[in-house]
Amino acid sequence: MSATTAPSAPTTPAPFRPGLIARAIAAVSGTPGLVIKLTLLGVSNALAVWAAYVLIDRKHWISLVVLLAATAIIDYVYLAGGIKTLPAKFMVPGTIFLIAFQLVPIIYTIEVAFSNYSTGHVIGKAEAIKAIEINSLEPPPNGRQFEMAPARDSGGHLVLILHDDTSGAVYVGTAKGLQPLAKSDVALAETGQPTSAKGYTLIKGAELFTLDAQLKALTVPTTGSAAIQAQGVSQAVELQPTLRYDAQRNAFIRIEDGAVFKDNNQGSFVSANGKEELEPGWKTYTGLHNFGKLVNDPLYRTPFIKVFIWTFVYATLTVLLSFAVGLFLAITLDKKGLAFQRGYRSILVIPYAMPGFLSLLIWAGLLNDSFGVVNRTILSHFGFTVPWLFDANWAKVSVLLVSVWLTTPYFFLVSLGALQSIPAELTEAARVDGGGAWAIFRRVTLPLLLVAVGPLLIASFAFNFNNFNNIYLLTGGGPYTDASSIAGSTDILISYTYKLAIATGKGNDYGLASALAIIIFFIVATISGISFYRSKALENVT
Amino acid sequence: VSTSEQAETSAAIGQATTRTRTAPRPKLPSLQGNWWRHAVGIVGVVVALFPVAFTLSSAFNRDNTLQGASLTPTHFTLNNFGNVLHNNVHLNGGGKQPAPYVHWIVNSMVVAGATALLTTLLGAFAAYAFSRFRFKGRRFGMMGLLLIQMFPQFGAIAAIYLLVLNIGDIFGPLGLNSLLAVIVVYLGGAMGVQAWLMKGFFDTIPQELDESARVDGATAAQIFWGVVLPLAAPVLVVVALISFVFTLNEYVIASALLQTNDHFTLPVGMKGFINDQYGQLWGPFAAGSLMAMIPVTALFLFLQRWIVSGLTAGSVKG
Repeated sequence: MSATTAPSAPTTPAPFRPGLIARAIAAVSGTPGLVIKLTLLGVSNALAVWAAYVLIDRKHWISLVVLLAATAIIDYVYLAGGIKTLPAKFMVPGTIFLIAFQLVPIIYTIEVAFSNYSTGHVIGKAEAIKAIEINSLEPPPNGRQFEMAPARDSGGHLVLILHDDTSGAVYVGTAKGLQPLAKSDVALAETGQPTSAKGYTLIKGAELFTLDAQLKALTVPTTGSAAIQAQGVSQAVELQPTLRYDAQRNAFIRIEDGAVFKDNNQGSFVSANGKEELEPGWKTYTGLHNFGKLVNDPLYRTPFIKVFIWTFVYATLTVLLSFAVGLFLAITLDKKGLAFQRGYRSILVIPYAMPGFLSLLIWAGLLNDSFGVVNRTILSHFGFTVPWLFDANWAKVSVLLVSVWLTTPYFFLVSLGALQSIPAELTEAARVDGGGAWAIFRRVTLPLLLVAVGPLLIASFAFNFNNFNNIYLLTGGGPYTDASSIAGSTDILISYTYKLAIATGKGNDYGLASALAIIIFFIVATISGISFYRSKALENVT
Repeated sequence: VSTSEQAETSAAIGQATTRTRTAPRPKLPSLQGNWWRHAVGIVGVVVALFPVAFTLSSAFNRDNTLQGASLTPTHFTLNNFGNVLHNNVHLNGGGKQPAPYVHWIVNSMVVAGATALLTTLLGAFAAYAFSRFRFKGRRFGMMGLLLIQMFPQFGAIAAIYLLVLNIGDIFGPLGLNSLLAVIVVYLGGAMGVQAWLMKGFFDTIPQELDESARVDGATAAQIFWGVVLPLAAPVLVVVALISFVFTLNEYVIASALLQTNDHFTLPVGMKGFINDQYGQLWGPFAAGSLMAMIPVTALFLFLQRWIVSGLTAGSVKG
């Protein structure tokens, strides 16, 4: 890397004998190291050139600039010598991934949080206006229906050969309008389908199916605002818009009764009484609307507050109960000369050592209401069963029990370590002073223990605050007490956010989900901030 | 324990300490016995092993359903293992979609293995820079890293999905339904908590070692590979293992980015395994779980001591 040359070796009596690993490393530094470095740089540059080629082809200019700048920085960092770029050499690889897959999504999420991006508000306004116009098309009172065959005229333009079922007339439809054809020039099948037309080549076979987009785009104007449009590849109907967009008033007007649908600045055209909304809407910035919804709109406020409180209850109880049980186990088993001590220790750690997602899925099976072993084999002996995952309150109990089962071994291990680091003289001294076991624990052991374990309790709280798996893999956030809500009774903020964004049958509300993600960020950052302040971990930074 | 700390703790409990120091240590009354400790221990063991025992019994039980499962197998069989390993289990009753368990295992191992390895490497790079160099933006960078980690990645899942979708449009192998895409998304977190953990450890490696190597003519890279990294082996193992286990358990991102059955990782696949026909596929599910959990659990127990020290230093596993 940097080209520091060795100073002339001073004569040292004892030669430096590096270990095996160091010698192996030494073997690949120098020339081989340079070769590895240049190869990796070459690969990254080759990939960049190729990506640049694709980006130019697609005219993604902004992405291209970012790509070129990034490549230039990487090359500079690794090729320029000197002390200045030395830290960057070590920082760049991780930073690239950090920026691409954490920072960019976060920035995008923040942007979305201030918009109404959601199902029905995905496209831009111009596209939405077009879509509303198309959606408003309806057959006029005496609208005509046609048997149709797509064809090309002598110039190769796409036209429609049309046969009016009721009148028997035949036409050629172009973007300019409808022209009658002589009946003798058009051959019809028994179904009424045109099969050939003089002066036009009918499109047949596989090519028909490539025409979808072009056929949709072709409208044949007829009388007034009505137009003929293809429906599939063999039918066409005459349609008329029922809404008209007035660009000057920035509103849609219903042609039938003159009702006005105004832009509500929230990405929709709505009627004067606010009850009718034209679909689709468009994506637009709505300021703090998403945050406001959580505070003001009962439809969102009620589930939000429920989920918010449960998240705190869940995280707090999980940590406190796990710590209490773990500490109790540690105190009980931390006795010199206790038989099977190591055995207990190894087995008690197993719930923590097992892959968590499997434990959760297994617990979901164990607690299954009608088939689960807990109800069927154990509790039924005592003459009762518990709706573990079926009842809203019992599901909360289940989630807590399983979380405590998963987390306790961590605090058992941590407490065991902390207990052993407390000097025995202290507790003995207290005992000599006549302190009872409980008093010694309260006054001596616990305070000393909390110094070591305190920051871990807070870290564990922050972790469980966002413990998506524990909720989602066990109950899926359910059960649902009310069918209209996305939030189930065991949903915590992060699983609620996830459902809003992705996993619901009720559409995706990316805007609201992103707003929630930001709220979660502030909560976790506050908790961690307090923790860092108290444990003074920040001293490491300076 | 340093003297100053001792002084503090003695102050906290007043004269007690001084008395032990001066007076000869008195004999403590012997305990009544350890029976209650064993009672607590046994209850703990039973609770800890209950799901494992149940899984073990279901895996070897001939009745495949959850309903037929019990804490002791009624009819011993190895069929569940054979069926799972030969992709002979079918999801969706009528649809008969095979459940490619072996693919899931391989996928998970590839994703978790690559992520663990690269996370450790990239994290160690950053940790080395933070530990050994004083450069502009160092403090800001470290604080920034911490702050970014606090943003819930699942909250940005829609953004990650769209990002990967668009990248895939330009560079297919990094698009949706690709394991490589999942790995690089995970690598976004490589500079997170783990880098902090390693930085803390690197700080404890005396700078004098670097100095002497530098005097011998070693470059920064050579010092990193040859001096710091070998000395940091314990923390590297811890970080790699934590990252491995964490990645192995990751469900959300994998389920959002991977789309077809044979590209799933184990959590995504196994969730689907039991989803629609919960009770019916319980036997094969248990067999599959058992095979997946044994090596991971064994590895974890084997490296337990190192992991605990790493965890105490400020990281929490899922």
